[in-house]
Amino acid sequence: MTLVAVSLCLIVLAGMAGGLSRQPAAGEMLFRVLLGAGCVTGAVPAVEVLAGGTVAELRFVAAPFGAWVFGLDALSAVFLLAILIVGAACAFYGLAYLAPERGHRAVAAAHLLLTLLITALALTVVARAAVPFLIAWEVMAVVAYLLVVFEHERPEVRRAGLIYLVATHVGTLLLLAFFATWAGATGDLSFAALAAHPPFSDARSGIILALALVAFGLKAGAVPFHIWLPEAHGAAPVHVSALMSGVVIKMGVYGLMRTVLMFGAPPAWWGWLVLAIGAGSGVLGVVWALAQHDIKRLLAFHSVENIGIILLGIGAGALGLAYGHPVVAVLGFAGAALHTLNHAVFKSLLFLSAGSVTHATGTRDIDRMGGLARRMPATAAAFLVGAAAIVGLPPLNGFVSEWVIYQALLRGGSARGAMQLAVLTAVPLSLMGALALACFAKVVGVIYLGTPRDEGAAAARESGRGMILPPVGLAALCVAIGLLPVAVVPPALRVGGLVAGSGAEPEVSAVTATVFALALAASLLGAWLWHRVYTGRRRPLEAVTWGCGFATPTPRMAYTASSFAAPLLATFGSFAGTRADHTASSFATHAFDPVLDRVMIPMWRGVSAAASRLRPIQRGGLSRYLLYIATAVIAVLLYLLAAGRGP
Amino acid sequence: MTQESLVALALLAVVAPALPGIVVKTKSLLTGRRGPPVLQLYSDLWKLVRKGTVYSRTTTWVFRAGPLVALVSLLVAALFLPLDGRSAPATFAGDVIAFAGLLALGRFALVLAGMDTGSSFEGMGASREVTIASFAEPTLFLCFIALVLATGDLTLSGMLGTPLAAAWPRSGATLCLVGTSLFVLLLAENCRVPVDDPATHLELTMIHEVIVLDHSGPDLALILYGSALKLALFGVLVVSIFSPRAELSGPVAVAVLFAGLGVVAVLVGVVESVTARLRLTRVPQLLVGAGALALFGIILELR
Amino acid sequence: MYSAAQLVLLFVVLSDLAVLGTTRLSSCIRGIAAQGLLLGLLPVLVAPQLSVHAVSLGVGTIVVKAIVLPWLLGRAIREAAVRREIEPLVGFIASQLLGVLAVALAFAIASRLPLPATTQPLLVPVSLATLMIGFIVLTTRRKALMQVIGYLILENGIYLFGLTQTESVPFLIELGVLLDVFVGVFIMGIVVFHINREFDSLDSTRLAELTD
Repeated sequence: MTLVAVSLCLIVLAGMAGGLSRQPAAGEMLFRVLLGAGCVTGAVPAVEVLAGGTVAELRFVAAPFGAWVFGLDALSAVFLLAILIVGAACAFYGLAYLAPERGHRAVAAAHLLLTLLITALALTVVARAAVPFLIAWEVMAVVAYLLVVFEHERPEVRRAGLIYLVATHVGTLLLLAFFATWAGATGDLSFAALAAHPPFSDARSGIILALALVAFGLKAGAVPFHIWLPEAHGAAPVHVSALMSGVVIKMGVYGLMRTVLMFGAPPAWWGWLVLAIGAGSGVLGVVWALAQHDIKRLLAFHSVENIGIILLGIGAGALGLAYGHPVVAVLGFAGAALHTLNHAVFKSLLFLSAGSVTHATGTRDIDRMGGLARRMPATAAAFLVGAAAIVGLPPLNGFVSEWVIYQALLRGGSARGAMQLAVLTAVPLSLMGALALACFAKVVGVIYLGTPRDEGAAAARESGRGMILPPVGLAALCVAIGLLPVAVVPPALRVGGLVAGSGAEPEVSAVTATVFALALAASLLGAWLWHRVYTGRRRPLEAVTWGCGFATPTPRMAYTASSFAAPLLATFGSFAGTRADHTASSFATHAFDPVLDRVMIPMWRGVSAAASRLRPIQRGGLSRYLLYIATAVIAVLLYLLAAGRGP
Repeated sequence: MTQESLVALALLAVVAPALPGIVVKTKSLLTGRRGPPVLQLYSDLWKLVRKGTVYSRTTTWVFRAGPLVALVSLLVAALFLPLDGRSAPATFAGDVIAFAGLLALGRFALVLAGMDTGSSFEGMGASREVTIASFAEPTLFLCFIALVLATGDLTLSGMLGTPLAAAWPRSGATLCLVGTSLFVLLLAENCRVPVDDPATHLELTMIHEVIVLDHSGPDLALILYGSALKLALFGVLVVSIFSPRAELSGPVAVAVLFAGLGVVAVLVGVVESVTARLRLTRVPQLLVGAGALALFGIILELR
Repeated sequence: MYSAAQLVLLFVVLSDLAVLGTTRLSSCIRGIAAQGLLLGLLPVLVAPQLSVHAVSLGVGTIVVKAIVLPWLLGRAIREAAVRREIEPLVGFIASQLLGVLAVALAFAIASRLPLPATTQPLLVPVSLATLMIGFIVLTTRRKALMQVIGYLILENGIYLFGLTQTESVPFLIELGVLLDVFVGVFIMGIVVFHINREFDSLDSTRLAELTD
């Protein structure tokens, strides 16, 4: 635990050094060294706990509102690892990304705030009592808001920041209610005391679990609470979006898993609800992602989809606990934890390389890019690895975590009773995978392949080393985790066992899976080498694209992103959230968020209209207010009279 | 990984190019022609391998890697199928998902290779291919779920091997429905009528043909061989469901499998001659119909 | 293994799903003729011993449901000169998924009903499923002819349920059921031809134009 404390101090120091030093070059060097040292120091106890060790707790007894306890168990360790890895990558990337803005924006403050965000995130997962948890949570939310409105002179950024702030504070209020309902009249708010609770009545446990689902679902971005996600992640600078998509929304997942750990076995209805929300978020998230052409909003909607996948794992785990199938429970939570780590890695990889691309071409619209694989080969390769990982293709890391979640769902099929129906959720999971393949084939094809569609894309050049190394490092990590499931699946099973509270050891044959992944990678590499040798001997000819004999292809003839996705979106009809505007001579498609535009905003307008009917009460006249006060006093006196008169 | 299963796999790899030949021969005979010889694809492959390659200047390494990744993923996927009706060369819990993932990997590589040329034809083919795949994959998983429920096994060797033979008396109706659904999936994934016409050369009506338009020489040979192998793999799935061969000895089981593959190829030829190609917007409907059959099988199993 | 009656019942469900999924009216009529044929085989297979009663019921059902009614409907199509069905109110994919959902519901409900042990295990779920699918076709299709077909499927479902009572119910009930079908189709036939002649279209959503 002391190592974690040391690492957090180092990280904060790094921020202050980067922020306060006079010379930018020395400040950046100090930032890099201190942040790197801090992240490595923090990762050591996390890996130790995941490998089966234990770490002592830190108690501060003389703190306000009860003892403040900090500890690191397997569940906290996996999230801490994700925070440190993604935090380091985004911070290093941010140094290079924000360097051109140094004169006219608060760049140093941004670096300091980023390190504060990483520290707040780490404190949230190591907190073992309600009060430090809530304080760290609130600090994380506010610092994230400040980072989101970095480009605050743009009105859409301010609007996005406002939506985010409102959403996160609604979540915090619900969290306060959650902890209050749980702890009840006892004063001890540490997680150990909460876990040792007496059995609750059905109503009270229902309220607690519903509050947890809404509050943590708001943070995680599950449909229908996701409305702030695309706005905030689209408006923030790209390394902040990467950090938010990678780890900040995972705090909601952490909260849900910690709730299950402390609650014991949740009732079956909660498991089914989480499963349904997971399936809905997943499918709707990827359909809405298909409709987008802004690369950052597209990636943000994919985060909604992957949160759906993680919730499927949590739902399967909760159902396993409710119906008494420990193997399914352990596998479900293990898959959720592993997918959290994997998604953090490949989503931040995708965001950072997308940032390099938007930086180089000057636009966020993918329909204006094209042919960037020739101009930015390293970024393209890293993005391709991230795309293959998020689709869940072997031998990368997305496949490993989806494989574990599928096993949890399919093993539920061999149970008896209502649990068997859970196996049908494998179908939405496969639909999500297929739609994600469609979406990323579109994204990679339109951005990196083909010919440039615009001058910005034609003039793009590869980014500097500071912006290439973090994505490439993350890509290497994706490949490493994918090739060695035997290294990550047993610790994930340990996390699953901790959350499920059971010692069941499901037979997962991780070794054979590792052999499979290594064999696949080896054969792919072998085929590629053979191909190089073979075509090296007979030199191939180069010509213009044949395309059925059309001799002068132009970039305007290539398929655009919206036409690529059009057949799929047509099948989903009005759920897809696209709107086409066409006049006699022009055509444009716009993508919007159906939940925000068709449900939330009309609801708010309705509430606002109903509330404005009450406006006549507040006309401002003093005599009217005195009349209100007098009426209220007389009403109270009459009530006391009537109550006193009763038998 | 026994020697026998590897030999069976090698035999399958050798026999696969004969299947499209059987399909074309059936179609020709049914329309009153003699048609090309059954082994025509072997001669085509030999001719293509000796040709030179032309690469477009727009393409990158993605285009060159596409056919390779597609073929390697199919060969690795074939390792999980129990060709002798009992055990496969490779097996692990949940390898059905690896099977589906490998097919997706091959598709991803070919679609990206198509987009790499920057031509509108390949883009169109890519768009249609991923649309059809988005409906084919859930249907495939519905069939797998039905098999999991019927056999209680999470590996492909179990789902298509000995536990399947034991499940036939109890779940015969479910297995027939799953087999029919898998046959419709075979037509969809291998670009057969009524989903796609492999013989058409009108760009506006092609799906798979148009993605591979710019490949030439040995690359095209790899792609043609890969599609024959994919037809063989799906044929193995269909044949394994309808003829569980767990009691037969090794060589007899493999011989029965190849005979079954021939029957499946003839059936595909008959279906191609009898039905017309569906309108593209009706293809998702066909796949959802196949999924509905598999769902009905699942309902019967859950009863 | 499955008895012949269970196989026939499974094919009845398949014919229901086929009617839901096909777009052409002539295929729907062929589907309902096939369903009539299957339903005609059932009294013979379900009855514990072969009796004149069961055989005559089967033959009568085949004549009415598999020969006469499809021929009448076929004539209606030819006279009104319609071929295809336009997109139903919920879409073809959604109506197929609704159909499977109806089958699942039917099986779930049937497993909860207290039934005597001697009934065919699949008879009640299949009858409920056919009923619900007939109702789906009736409410979601626009062409009046498709609605007639939906009504016929509904009647088939009721007929299937009536088969569970072949032991204790006199012959009169069967006649009543068949007469019911006759009357229903006659009325619908008259309505269809009058609609066609008066309004030049068999699209029943245009009936809404009758209001002012």
